[in-house]
Amino acid sequence: MMSKLILLIILLPVLSALLMHLLEGKLGRCVARISVAAILLSALFSGVLLWLSLSGHLIGQSISISPWTILYFDSLSILMALVISLISLIVHIYSLRYMAEESGYARFFVLLDLMTASLLLMVAAGDMISLIIAWHFVGVFLYFLLGQDTRNPTAYRYAFWSLITYRIGDLPLVFAAVLLFQAYGTWSLPIIFEQLNQAPNAHSVFGLPLPEVIGILLALAAFARSAQFLLHTWLPYTMDGPTPVSALMHAGIVNAGGFLINRFAPIFANTSDVLQWVFIVGFISAIIGSVLMLVQNDIKKSLGYSTMGQMGFMIMECGIGAFSLAIYHLIAHGVFKGTLFLSAGSVIHSARKNDGVPQDELYTFVVEKRPAITRKPWLLMAAFTLSVPLVVLILSHSFVSEDYFQKQGAIVLLFFGWITGAQLIFATYRTHAQNLWRLVFISILSFTIVIIGYIFISHAFNVYLYPDTALREKLIAAASIDKIRFDILVALITLTIVIGWLVAYYTERNRNGKHPKYTGRLWTMFYALITREFYLTDLYSLLSRTILSSANKLNVWLRWN
Amino acid sequence: MPDINLLLAGLFLPLFPFSMVFNALFNRVKHVVLRCFLLIGWPHIGLAIIHSTDTNVPTWIITWALVTSLFYAFRMLTLRDVGQWNSFLATSVWAMLWLTTSDMNLSMHHIYTFGVTAPLVLLALLSAGLEKRFGAAYTDLYGGLALSIPRFAGVLVVVILAAIATPLFPGFFIMLKLILDTSVTMPVATVVLLTIWLLWSWAGVRLLQGLIVGPASQGDADDFNLISCWSYVITLVVLMLSGVYLSGFLL
Repeated sequence: MMSKLILLIILLPVLSALLMHLLEGKLGRCVARISVAAILLSALFSGVLLWLSLSGHLIGQSISISPWTILYFDSLSILMALVISLISLIVHIYSLRYMAEESGYARFFVLLDLMTASLLLMVAAGDMISLIIAWHFVGVFLYFLLGQDTRNPTAYRYAFWSLITYRIGDLPLVFAAVLLFQAYGTWSLPIIFEQLNQAPNAHSVFGLPLPEVIGILLALAAFARSAQFLLHTWLPYTMDGPTPVSALMHAGIVNAGGFLINRFAPIFANTSDVLQWVFIVGFISAIIGSVLMLVQNDIKKSLGYSTMGQMGFMIMECGIGAFSLAIYHLIAHGVFKGTLFLSAGSVIHSARKNDGVPQDELYTFVVEKRPAITRKPWLLMAAFTLSVPLVVLILSHSFVSEDYFQKQGAIVLLFFGWITGAQLIFATYRTHAQNLWRLVFISILSFTIVIIGYIFISHAFNVYLYPDTALREKLIAAASIDKIRFDILVALITLTIVIGWLVAYYTERNRNGKHPKYTGRLWTMFYALITREFYLTDLYSLLSRTILSSANKLNVWLRWN
Repeated sequence: MPDINLLLAGLFLPLFPFSMVFNALFNRVKHVVLRCFLLIGWPHIGLAIIHSTDTNVPTWIITWALVTSLFYAFRMLTLRDVGQWNSFLATSVWAMLWLTTSDMNLSMHHIYTFGVTAPLVLLALLSAGLEKRFGAAYTDLYGGLALSIPRFAGVLVVVILAAIATPLFPGFFIMLKLILDTSVTMPVATVVLLTIWLLWSWAGVRLLQGLIVGPASQGDADDFNLISCWSYVITLVVLMLSGVYLSGFLL
């Protein structure tokens, strides 16, 4: 019974796609309701599985159809299946009317169903081959979904960027799969993890321990999927696709990197340096994504860079060993980013109808980038900023775990909580409100709720997703760095925040004065750099043109034979 | 003597520059049936020669074959003629078959070769269909097939995906098998194989975009009738099932 339920969750969208294709001629646009019904059932069944799992009736159920077709439903896949089917259901319902005027209506739903099935297979894959197949199909279906409007070459141009980046990410995953097979003689993930757990250092490849090499390859695959720095350029540009696809992509598909790292947690737990590199890449992506988001004047592109920043944060969480927190993050991000994308259309639509833009301080600050005229007292806001980590540390120490201070990952995370808090308080500081204290109170309260929620929920996720305490501790240990490097990192972050406040103070003092010549030039150069997105897209375009031109020259030289 | 036989096989499982013979011949032959026979028959002659020599293929030939495969995958990127694209992909795919010669018997080898060649045969038929409808099978010349002849475009998309070794088609499992065989003993070869796979995807997408994207082309091009469409669909499903079946022996 349970096996049938598990199979149905994945098969229903496939059956629906098939039925829609066959019945499109007879049912017309009503055919899309089949798709909604199928996804609704998938979501319901996933919900039932989650309930069974939470109540302890379902623990790591796996169905083996062939040596490379194994479905594995553990806590992670059950939770992810519910998230994917729910987000997909919302996107399906939204698309019923949103896509009504578009050509290829039925094709769109067929592709949406196949994409959902691929994502569900990806999270439920209990073997490497199924995972590779699902991983590959997600890229292919995303390409066609982004190119839903076949008259639009621009949409296809950017859909191609996403496809080729995804293909680049597929390759390390394939390499990792074959190396694991060579070492353990099986494609089955539960068996591989079990053997690895028994003898972590039993195998080596290219002179390195196997988990280290596999960890690097998996991290590369995750980086491509989750738009990490240098592999991110496709994400902000794929906005010519339909809005529901953007919502699904930002809410569900880009999160796959975080899922992949979580799926292979037993491997990452046995690495020594990989998670530190994962942290660094996530950190750079979070910073660059956030900076680039600030200079965008297109709402969807801005959301694209925001996603890149959030994905950086998610990957960074994996890098500090907070794997379950990354899952919580990807779910929370999926929900809010999906909502933002689905409402972006109506915002644009109402803005077109009514050009009376809100002339309040928040609008002029956020959209027109004009600083507010009045400011809150600098010292008060700085004091709030400095008190944030203290409050967070005391709360986490009291309510979560007494040895919280001893965990490096937790400290780093708290520092990033501090940065986020500082960012929020900066924003509050720079805006103007009629009721100053109300605004400050709301900001502090919301921030505290977020942080407390984060700590409590991450704790709950940890217990549910990683009930094995030994594995949790191994992950934290694998992510740890030596004390000197850790202290330097903490000092750097502190310094950054303090310098940030000093710059704010300096700017406040010289608000009406002119900047010195050299800082003005530096600022202009920096602004040019970020508005050109660090020239990365230009560089990739140049590289691509050079490759194509070389291929063409070779063909001419060899007379096309 | 075995080396001479292997070099002769390099004409049929093409090794550059011998590969130019096949490509010139394929371009010269315009009749679709002859092209299909050429695609089906050519690599099998090479396989028969290799197996008749009864010697292990030396490493230098394996390297040569990999370089040839990479070379043609790279050159495919800018091809706009569908027929030429097909013959370059055939060259790239068949050159890879040298890597499988050590651990397969002749009959299995023929089956695998047929598995990777079948999508190319379908593409040759579609290419002829385009020439019949538009006078040329050329990208960026008319475009918009998704709107003007949607059934044909749908089939074309799936056939190209099958040709570039998308999962569940035989090419995918054979690529996996090759990567599996080389991953530990020849990691550089694995990287080359993965690069070739990436280049196929790039070339395939460029070909697709040049044909199916854009406003509907002017003129009255006939789309597939239901029978033709279902024939292709059934063939592709059979191909997919055979890929899954083959995987049992490969993986």
